Amino acid sequence: MAEKTVLGMDLYWLNFYGLMILTLIEVLAVGANLDPVAESLGTEEKVITLWILTIIAIPKFIMIAAIFMHLYGDEDSGILTMTALFPAFFILIMVLFVGLTHPDAASSLPDWCRPGTYGL
Amino acid sequence: MGVAIFLFSLAATFEWGEFQGWGNIPLIFVGLGVVSFSLLVWWRQDMSFGMHGEIFEPKSTGAPFQNIDIRKVAMWMFLMSEMMVFTALFSTYMRYRLGIPNCKTVFHSGEWVEGTAVTCFEPAGHLIASSWFHIAPGAINTFALIVSSFTIVQALRYAKKKDIDEDVRRRKVTRYLGTTWFLAIVFLTLKMVEWFLGFPLPEFLHEFNHGDSTIKSLYAEGYLINADNYQHHAFDTEYIEKHPEDYSIPEDSALYAMMQDGSHQGGKMFANIQVSATTFYVTTGTHGAHVLGGIVGLTYMTLKAARGGYTPDNAVSIEYFGLYWHFVDLVWVLVFPFFYLY
Repeated sequence: MAEKTVLGMDLYWLNFYGLMILTLIEVLAVGANLDPVAESLGTEEKVITLWILTIIAIPKFIMIAAIFMHLYGDEDSGILTMTALFPAFFILIMVLFVGLTHPDAASSLPDWCRPGTYGL
Repeated sequence: MGVAIFLFSLAATFEWGEFQGWGNIPLIFVGLGVVSFSLLVWWRQDMSFGMHGEIFEPKSTGAPFQNIDIRKVAMWMFLMSEMMVFTALFSTYMRYRLGIPNCKTVFHSGEWVEGTAVTCFEPAGHLIASSWFHIAPGAINTFALIVSSFTIVQALRYAKKKDIDEDVRRRKVTRYLGTTWFLAIVFLTLKMVEWFLGFPLPEFLHEFNHGDSTIKSLYAEGYLINADNYQHHAFDTEYIEKHPEDYSIPEDSALYAMMQDGSHQGGKMFANIQVSATTFYVTTGTHGAHVLGGIVGLTYMTLKAARGGYTPDNAVSIEYFGLYWHFVDLVWVLVFPFFYLY
């Protein structure tokens, strides 16, 4: 782990500040009244919030993985990044095909998988 | 694999809390044995550094990981399997969240009668993101994990520094690892506050909490995995009438029209929220279990650091643990917005 700098600033400190700011924006976005924005876009406030949260989560994810987990800039970063991306295909299948695309979702699940039949 | 054997055999032995017989008990111990053996091998590897001045970190020889430390490769493999575990939990959440109508939607549809529970999805975010006070434990936890990710990086940095005094290095590494340990404890403590305990508010803040003196825990709110008769004041027409500043029934909703023409009497909606509560607790609980595992590792590492156990030659152990800890932070980056805020 070599000492890295960006614009003369320590990379790890910079990453840390960046993550803190993004998290602050995330929390503020949930607390803020986004109704006017939602109305102007013809959608619900929750949808706007979800978009903001998703957009912020992506750079946070990359910043932690690339800088803190050394998937960027180290000798073995290339092959380890490939290793980390290997499950991406399976994750896409699970999330897209199981999580999102099933039209009836819970209503067509077998009885044992539905509320009220757990024996609780 | 050990964890899987342990969990499956434990689940088979205690199905829904009832003892199912002794048949799977040996398997529970097999699972524990595999986990213990793996940890022992890891610990022995960690201890092998510098005991007699030697350094022994086996390198991978086969493609595609030539000359990379075997433990580093193993840690990444482990993290990838962990990623699949959390993906399964996330896809389960998405499927249920999108497949079961939201409780608010059901309430506004008017398709309910007081006294009969309807199945709907009540996101934990409805309770947690309802005010700054409710969101405080989760938000503090988010910052705690990010700071702890940074402190573990700093611990590694000082452990690897060759141009500092040995005693300074020992103190710095111990402090940073100790801080990481402390932040992990803070995380789980706040999780307990959020789930089970709640917290009192100072008097001057009561007015910002509808006059209430406490912030209720999820448990106190009735947000439980067996909640088949869950009630919330947002789904109570009488409460809404009395508190128009907090809630309202949209004039274009079916419930509003039905109440206007007298075909719906209003009242309290009872909800079966077992699925939503279960997805929330299982996912955040699995993440919490990982934090707990991290605390165990950090306890050992902090004690080792305090005894001067980390030098530039053997700092890799902090790096490998750091990978795990950053992964726990990474998962939280997704869990927090989707389970707590949305």
